[in-house]
Amino acid sequence: MLSLTSKSWSPYVAGIVIGLLQIPAFLLIETALGASSSYVTVGGLIASWVDPSILRIDYVAKHVALTGKNWWQVALVAGIAIGAFVSMKLSGARRQTISPIWARALGSASPARRYAVAFAAGFIMLFGARLADGCTSGHGLSGTAQLAVGSMVAVAAMFAGGIATALALLRRT
Amino acid sequence: MPLFTAVLIGVAMGIVFGFALEKSRVFEPGIIVGQMQLRNFIMLKVFFTAVATGAVVLAAMHGFGYVKLAPKAALYAADIIGGLILGAGIALAGACPGTVLAQVGAGYRDAIFTLVGGLGGAIAYSYAEPMLSKTFLADGAGKLVLSEMLGIPYWTGALVLAALCTVIVVVLERIFPSAAELGRDVDGDLPPRGTATHELQAVAAE
Repeated sequence: MLSLTSKSWSPYVAGIVIGLLQIPAFLLIETALGASSSYVTVGGLIASWVDPSILRIDYVAKHVALTGKNWWQVALVAGIAIGAFVSMKLSGARRQTISPIWARALGSASPARRYAVAFAAGFIMLFGARLADGCTSGHGLSGTAQLAVGSMVAVAAMFAGGIATALALLRRT
Repeated sequence: MPLFTAVLIGVAMGIVFGFALEKSRVFEPGIIVGQMQLRNFIMLKVFFTAVATGAVVLAAMHGFGYVKLAPKAALYAADIIGGLILGAGIALAGACPGTVLAQVGAGYRDAIFTLVGGLGGAIAYSYAEPMLSKTFLADGAGKLVLSEMLGIPYWTGALVLAALCTVIVVVLERIFPSAAELGRDVDGDLPPRGTATHELQAVAAE
């Protein structure tokens, strides 16, 4: 059942594997699992090629600094793409260019429309994550497990915002 | 630790993370949107299992004095407003900031747009941060940890949390069996409601 070539594992096995990743994160990097800070590291670096003055913003300078924590997280999210790619290749679970659920959820099969929604969604997703100071990983997995009150509030808000948006804007049939 | 070593550890951990996201199918837009539409619970099952596991390992590592915890400060206004915006983005992206990379890796082209939009959102926030940090959004209660507020050791609170998560997951599995939530192409694209459960399970077993 845990074969690397199978198309799906139990959600519980995957959850345990993800939870165990806190061990190397805390022992080796002295931080918790997270993902959204890396967007500031990479985004800030890219923006600085066009506008070097962005590096004078403390928030950006802190995130692009060549520290282990900053670039460990960039490497982590890059690794996620590699791991998913290898896993998909091993199982043969090839994906179409756009998930078939979008034609129904958006009420349109137009790829251009989906790309526009995806871009806008990505934009507000990271703006919100940085405002909240964490995402599904940093607040959700790590903050909740550390019993951080702010993280529990943030996770409740995430699901409330997600459920309200999905029920209001996305179709079910 | 040298930067290079930290990056190598990051890539190795990311590959394991990406494998788990892909194999559990929780990275699928169909699963994430289905969760937000309250008709597919694989996302919450993975989430609560990962939280429970993380809480147990942190309880052990912290209890025996191997690690220091790193909880984020409670900034209620920012946590709530930012969380709501982030949640809206997750529903429309069908991804979260970590899983979008798994979508790119597995070959979803729209995820590249989500990723680029995400970098744009992070840059926009970076420009706004000096202004926002002077508003009520920066007001908070400091690092509030539930176990400290209750006057119990962290490890006790963490084990209670793990137990609660386990109960939630057992109940979720009872009500929403995972085998019926994957769909024919393991992407969470399920037949319309009203299809008999045994037919869904037959589809999942193929």
